[in-house]
Amino acid sequence: MSPKLKVALLLVLTTSAVLTGVLVREGGASHDGARISNAGGPAIAIHGLRLKLATIRSGHVLAVRHGRALYRMQLANGTPCFGAGPAASLGTPGSVVCPHGGFPSSGDPVLDLSVYEGTRRDARDFSLFRVEGFAADGVAAVHFLRPNGEVALSVPVSGNVYSAADVPKGSIAGFAAVDKDGKRLWRSP
Amino acid sequence: MRRILFFVIACACAAAAVALARPAPAAAGWCWPNCLGYGYLGPSTSTNTGCWFSSGEVCSYYGSWFNMGLSKTCYPGCDWNYNTTGVVLYGYENHDRIRGRFTARGAVTLYVQPNELGMSGALRAQVTWYGGPASQLNAGGIG
Repeated sequence: MSPKLKVALLLVLTTSAVLTGVLVREGGASHDGARISNAGGPAIAIHGLRLKLATIRSGHVLAVRHGRALYRMQLANGTPCFGAGPAASLGTPGSVVCPHGGFPSSGDPVLDLSVYEGTRRDARDFSLFRVEGFAADGVAAVHFLRPNGEVALSVPVSGNVYSAADVPKGSIAGFAAVDKDGKRLWRSP
Repeated sequence: MRRILFFVIACACAAAAVALARPAPAAAGWCWPNCLGYGYLGPSTSTNTGCWFSSGEVCSYYGSWFNMGLSKTCYPGCDWNYNTTGVVLYGYENHDRIRGRFTARGAVTLYVQPNELGMSGALRAQVTWYGGPASQLNAGGIG
């Protein structure tokens, strides 16, 4: 291989590496302007997860609502995680979601941790058991929708967190994020 | 170029997610399709072990589970927000009900304990296809 070719190859590889870095940064789902401005309280120790390979040692409580604590955490590799658990036992989230692409983004402003229940075996028909989750800045409420599109429940977002004390009976077929004017920003698949 | 690069990065994330999703060793455990790789959960998938839904669901045996985890890849493709079009419900079930959380995310790792869903006692950990194409995932439970 000639020296010129080696230099050209080195340049191509260097450029590729730089471009990759730029694209990874720019293409990150959480780098498009959408954000969660609630930094939460001071860092607290997180334990009880028994996840040796997905170690989360500390996190921040974003809010405590209706007896539930909602957390923002991070894996050792920097991946953001969000979780929830009983407020009576702070630092022990019972559920964790780690979106490796980040959260939020303008096309994905809601991370729903609501619990759904089904009692029919002949249909995939689910109702709400508990409502809670996280939403990006600018989302004023989350609407839970009936199969016909009607709003079954509207839950206000405060401090990037939403939670409801009670849930309605009946089928739910998705949810939507709306802004302060009631304009729909996004709908779940 | 950008899409190819995105795909490569997504694959790397998925590989990392598989490793991360594997629960810590415990006395009892369940993995689907096994503890090392991914399987496809679509409307006709079944473990044929008496799950809540006869098809479109994989479930564990009845046990006293501490935690269940799920790693879902970008298959068959993620949009720019890392969402797929395959929606699954993950959680637990017993003889009376099935409960869980929905996700359509790709490149994601999720965990949930039974008490988060208001459940206890003998349960099956489950992952259920809800809509869209098959999802590529690895699920596991520790007791």
